[in-house]
Amino acid sequence: MTVFKSPGSGSKFVLPRRSLLKGGAALGMSTALGAPFINRLFAAEEHPLAGQSIEMNILGIAGWVPSSLGVKMSPLFADYVKEKYGYTVSFAFAEAPFSDLFQKAATSLATKSQEYNIIISDSQWLGALAKPGWILKLNDVIAKNPALQLDWYSQTVVDTYMTYPDGTKDIWGLPQEGDVEALYVRKDWLDDPKEKEAFQAKYGKPLPQTFEDFDALTMDEFEKIAEFFTRPDEQRWGFAQQYSRVYDFATCAFNNYLWSRGGEIWDPATGQIEGILNTQQNADSLQAFKDWLKYCPPGATNFGIAEGIDVFTQGKVFSTIQWAAVGSAMITDELKGKVLVVPPPKHGTGDAAKRICSMGGQPWVINAFNDEKKMRVAIDFMNWWYQPDTAVEFAKRGGNPCDKATLSRDDFNSINPWNQTYKFMLEEGRSRDFWHDPKYSEMLAIQQEGYSSFVTGQSSDPKAVLDYIACAQQQILNDEGVAKTAPSDACAATSL
Amino acid sequence: MARLRAGLYYAGLWATSLVFFAPIAWIVLASFKTRSDILAIPPKLIFTPTLQNYVDLFQRQSLFLQIGNSILLSLGAVIIAVFVSFLAAFCFSRFKPKGTDFLMFLLLSIRMLPGPAVILPVFLMYAAFGWKDSHLWLMLFYAMFSIPFSVWILKGFLDGVSTRFDETGIVNGGSWFHVIFKVVLPQVRPGLIAAFIFNLIFVWNEFLFNFIIGGVTTQNIPYALAVGTYADGGVNWTFISAMTSVYIILPITFIYLFQKYLLVGMTFGTVRGEV
Amino acid sequence: MSAITSRPRLARLFDDRRMMVLTLLAPVMLFFIVFNTIPTLWLLGLSFYNFSLTSGMPPEFIGVRNFVQIFHSRNGIWLDLSRTFTFVVCGVGIQTVLGAALGFLFWGSRDMPGRRIALTMLFAPMVLTPVATGTFFRFIYDPTFGVLNAMSHGLFGTGPIDFLGNPSLAFWAVLAVDCWMWTPFMTLMTLAALGSVPKAELEAAEIDRVPFVRRLSLVIWHHGKFILMLGILLRTIDSFKTLDLIIPMTKGGPGQQTRLVAMEVNKQAFESFNMGWSSAYSVLLLLISIAMTSVFIYVLNLRRRREG
Repeated sequence: MTVFKSPGSGSKFVLPRRSLLKGGAALGMSTALGAPFINRLFAAEEHPLAGQSIEMNILGIAGWVPSSLGVKMSPLFADYVKEKYGYTVSFAFAEAPFSDLFQKAATSLATKSQEYNIIISDSQWLGALAKPGWILKLNDVIAKNPALQLDWYSQTVVDTYMTYPDGTKDIWGLPQEGDVEALYVRKDWLDDPKEKEAFQAKYGKPLPQTFEDFDALTMDEFEKIAEFFTRPDEQRWGFAQQYSRVYDFATCAFNNYLWSRGGEIWDPATGQIEGILNTQQNADSLQAFKDWLKYCPPGATNFGIAEGIDVFTQGKVFSTIQWAAVGSAMITDELKGKVLVVPPPKHGTGDAAKRICSMGGQPWVINAFNDEKKMRVAIDFMNWWYQPDTAVEFAKRGGNPCDKATLSRDDFNSINPWNQTYKFMLEEGRSRDFWHDPKYSEMLAIQQEGYSSFVTGQSSDPKAVLDYIACAQQQILNDEGVAKTAPSDACAATSL
Repeated sequence: MARLRAGLYYAGLWATSLVFFAPIAWIVLASFKTRSDILAIPPKLIFTPTLQNYVDLFQRQSLFLQIGNSILLSLGAVIIAVFVSFLAAFCFSRFKPKGTDFLMFLLLSIRMLPGPAVILPVFLMYAAFGWKDSHLWLMLFYAMFSIPFSVWILKGFLDGVSTRFDETGIVNGGSWFHVIFKVVLPQVRPGLIAAFIFNLIFVWNEFLFNFIIGGVTTQNIPYALAVGTYADGGVNWTFISAMTSVYIILPITFIYLFQKYLLVGMTFGTVRGEV
Repeated sequence: MSAITSRPRLARLFDDRRMMVLTLLAPVMLFFIVFNTIPTLWLLGLSFYNFSLTSGMPPEFIGVRNFVQIFHSRNGIWLDLSRTFTFVVCGVGIQTVLGAALGFLFWGSRDMPGRRIALTMLFAPMVLTPVATGTFFRFIYDPTFGVLNAMSHGLFGTGPIDFLGNPSLAFWAVLAVDCWMWTPFMTLMTLAALGSVPKAELEAAEIDRVPFVRRLSLVIWHHGKFILMLGILLRTIDSFKTLDLIIPMTKGGPGQQTRLVAMEVNKQAFESFNMGWSSAYSVLLLLISIAMTSVFIYVLNLRRRREG
């Protein structure tokens, strides 16, 4: 068979040359025309990335207001750097719900990929992300960038969102969203004259009305109010909080009881859990935690954050202990002006009464495997995020910044209904985070299972449940080398 | 009397079908409700329908990427799987190499492990070779999962196609290629279609593998459903119901159109006509 | 004529045979080796190491310690297995009985108007994404907002029942959803099995006025059991792997009541990232699955061989 040479094949080589010439001419023209603009850009600030276009990926938390705020505000950053530094940045977002986010981040970072350049991480994961070297250590970055050397509102902020291991000066994250536990109450139910009368008649005391009233309130007094508003036949209950087995919901809600009543969960210095977590005092706290189910709607044992929002916004409960971060979801348009946000009640009586609640919130962490360009953009992003204007804008949209300057503004309390409580709970000693250990996930899973098993009635002895949890956690930390002592012999007999 | 009995009989069957379909109908119904209507107590059967959920759905970022990925990954994986399986099944059926039974069993063993157990070493492997978040490698992995079932079905059908056809084809001067694809293949159509549809639905609904070894570029709809469950703190019922309703259209359509083939296909070759 | 002319062809065929077998099997074998053999060997190897992805440290050889830990575990590995077995046995049992009954019911309905639509509706539960199914059934079961509670309150005047939060009900509630999803599959298999019965024999039995029960055992069971058993086998294997359905509904709770084997692997491998331990556990599960399936296939093959 003969092979014919196609007629146009000779000219195939001419065409590219022609198009090259065309391209070259175009380039030359655009440079000539664009020169004045480029000069102006360069005049703004000398920046290594000027004139380039960079793509960044942010991994955030699905369905979480502050995370989506961070995402929604990124076009502002794009505008900012375009004007100031002369480069274009475009963002793509990925997200996963809390319960799966660590999984998503870890499976990606384990491959040393640049799939996610900036990650909004939950505060407990700092250890798990830092230890394998997946995120960038920020001490040097902060030293070189004055904009990041902020005065944070309290030491709690630094301890929770920035430091790992606990007690050292190593910094791995910068606070994205501060978060504390708050009590959301239906002010309109409190203001109702009929309710006021009935309550006064029944208990001989007035219903609390203001922030200060609730600040002074103890759990015993609050219990009366919860009981008062628990009316199942009217489809209304007095209270709701998280009891769910998923993620950290039950733990965060229970730790409010544990810490406020004087208990501890571990000794960070020695890694000791057994003997500290499973005390009789904590067992009593666990029982109290379960007892409050009687003021909660049915199905409360499955309540996480989302369910808490659902029951409150649908008018099923008088009050909910809920994160300040979801304030904008809790206070829907229909509920505007009807909700008062106050600190959770104190545990105990008299002067010894105190409240120590769980700390929430998320830090920004930077992927350690970013190439130079993306790293530069990430640092610029942080610098921009902590500018006073950005922080205020963030607050105005419903977010919670953490720096002293923004929080000390005169108008801060009025920006969002929960801001006053947020500042209040952020002060030293009022909120606490639990362990940042890389093994937190395993320890948390056991704990969640235990607490869930107790509140649903599968296990009936709170002390036994705590023994089981403490032993298992002691084993994990001992295997890891963080805890110096192994679980005691009594541990062999524990079970759920 | 017989008519009455028949009528009652048919009514009973329809009632059963409706009972099984009821939860799905509930989801589709919810996709036309506002969020407050969905959460209303007692649950509302009569309400003013709204199309807002669908409008919102189609304005979601990445939606078309996800739908595209779902279609691409499903079709690609299953086409590859059925093709490869057909060749293998032909070989097992016609030439019965030594160890056929052992190989068939081994193929089945792939499907025995729970998802996380299967994906664990694959994840490490993909991580080591940089194959994570790649359409090709994800598709190939899905294909692997679809092969065992396809081989079993196709072998069953091929066993039912007499070897006379092969011989006649060869005798008449055709190559093996001709025999396999032009003579034998059309005769096992029900098996091909059944294998195709079952595996398509499996990959269509697959979440875990995409979550672990897929990534930003290969996200599919079940992944979107999982991450979109919570929106700004509350459960995003409107999204889930609308998305599920849209997503289920393809599988249900296939089941309706190809029902005959499914029924015949699941006989694994013992029936060639109508069921 | 064909014998003479096909002989040389057949001879050539014989030469080609090795090549043919190789070519036909090559793609499958390639897939198998890359995506099955290598990962399984990797899994096997990793099960002897202590490797936590988040510790930042390289894998450390520890021999059989992972396996020892599993066997000694008070953490409920054996509980998980027994729970999973209960789930599989009860689930497949209910699905088979109910599915077969429905299959028989639908078998005689050739002339039913809209049969195709009715069957499509019946098969629909199988094709719903498990993630969506789990989430929605969580809603349906919800004591405050759910439709089941509203119905039971309206019809029977009961108080709120927390299906998924009550430790004694949760397991069965989850099992009920699994049955809802997969009974149609068994119906499909039953219809296929019934279809594989040669019509001639059926008609002969009818003409001979053989009573239904005998007809069942002699004719129908004789021919249809292979497919039915295959359906049971497939369902058993898949049921063992249930994961996607449970996570949105209960995530293993309340307490540990709905924690199945696949969930523990998922938790250890992709939440705690203990690769070594989860590999060991997976190897164990693989051995159990292979044992289960071998028994099944043996029984299946035995029957088939008896047919001849």
